[in-house]
Amino acid sequence: MSGRIRVAIALLVLGVAAIAGVLVTRGDASRDTAALSNRGGPPIAIHGLRMKLATIRTGTVLARRNGRVFYRLRTVGGDPCFGVGFATNVGSPGSVVCQRGFPRSGSPVLDLSVYEGTRHDATEFSLFRAEGFAADGVAAVQFFRQNGEVALSVPVSGNVYSAASVPKGPIAGYAAVDKDGKRIWRSP
Amino acid sequence: MKRIVLFVIACACVAAVAALARPTAASASWCWPSCSSYGYLGQWTSTHTGCWFSAGEVCSYYDSWFNLGMAKTCYPGCDWNFNTTGIVLYGFENHDRIRGRFSGRGAVTLYVRPDELSMGGLLRAQVTWYAGTNQINAAAIG
Repeated sequence: MSGRIRVAIALLVLGVAAIAGVLVTRGDASRDTAALSNRGGPPIAIHGLRMKLATIRTGTVLARRNGRVFYRLRTVGGDPCFGVGFATNVGSPGSVVCQRGFPRSGSPVLDLSVYEGTRHDATEFSLFRAEGFAADGVAAVQFFRQNGEVALSVPVSGNVYSAASVPKGPIAGYAAVDKDGKRIWRSP
Repeated sequence: MKRIVLFVIACACVAAVAALARPTAASASWCWPSCSSYGYLGQWTSTHTGCWFSAGEVCSYYDSWFNLGMAKTCYPGCDWNFNTTGIVLYGFENHDRIRGRFSGRGAVTLYVRPDELSMGGLLRAQVTWYAGTNQINAAAIG
């Protein structure tokens, strides 16, 4: 390999590294400031989970609303998880989601609402329960119909939202709105 | 010939003992596509076992399930927020209704118990296609 080719390859590698550095330091990866400011209460023991892929022993309670408990959890391996469950059995979440990518500015809502379908011939689902987690800056979560009409708006407090009741009828998606009522994100 | 008959009878006895030693319904389990692999859940996927939707759904047999777990990969790719093109509804169903939660995330592990969906008794664990391409592993334990 001639000296010129070596120099060219070295310059190419340096160029790619420089571009990658700019993307990381100036791109969304480092600028994303989405957060949950609610740190919850003291750690509590988590039990009743038979989850092979996500061993969870402790967590914190972020909020209690409408007879429900909202948990921030972490696996023994360090992966972030969130859970919800009934307030009659604190420490035993009935549902757990372990995922990365929440909260982020492009993913400010972790919806744990329960949907129900009663038709075999159409994938139409209505709300059975509306609840979930939202990043700082999200003032409410709106659930909307196929025509865009808002069917339900649930205020967010302490990074948690929970509706005492839900409307009937199919839901097409949900969106996050800020304190001015401006829609800042919507579900796919 | 007599030896062969004795051998067959011995095999039948061993099989009978083995069958009795199998776990009872209390430790029932169901996996899709298997307990150690991922499968593609698309619009036309079916387990052909009488699920709520005839296509676009995989479901277990009826049992008193303790929970359903599902792992979804990033296939065919995740964006920066770990969203995929696929969305599924995971939960349970009976003869009257199907209930669950939606997830469009990749690299995610989810668990839900029937009582969390205000359901009980004999149920089918289910994962239903809603959009896109989904590579999942689903398992329910009793």
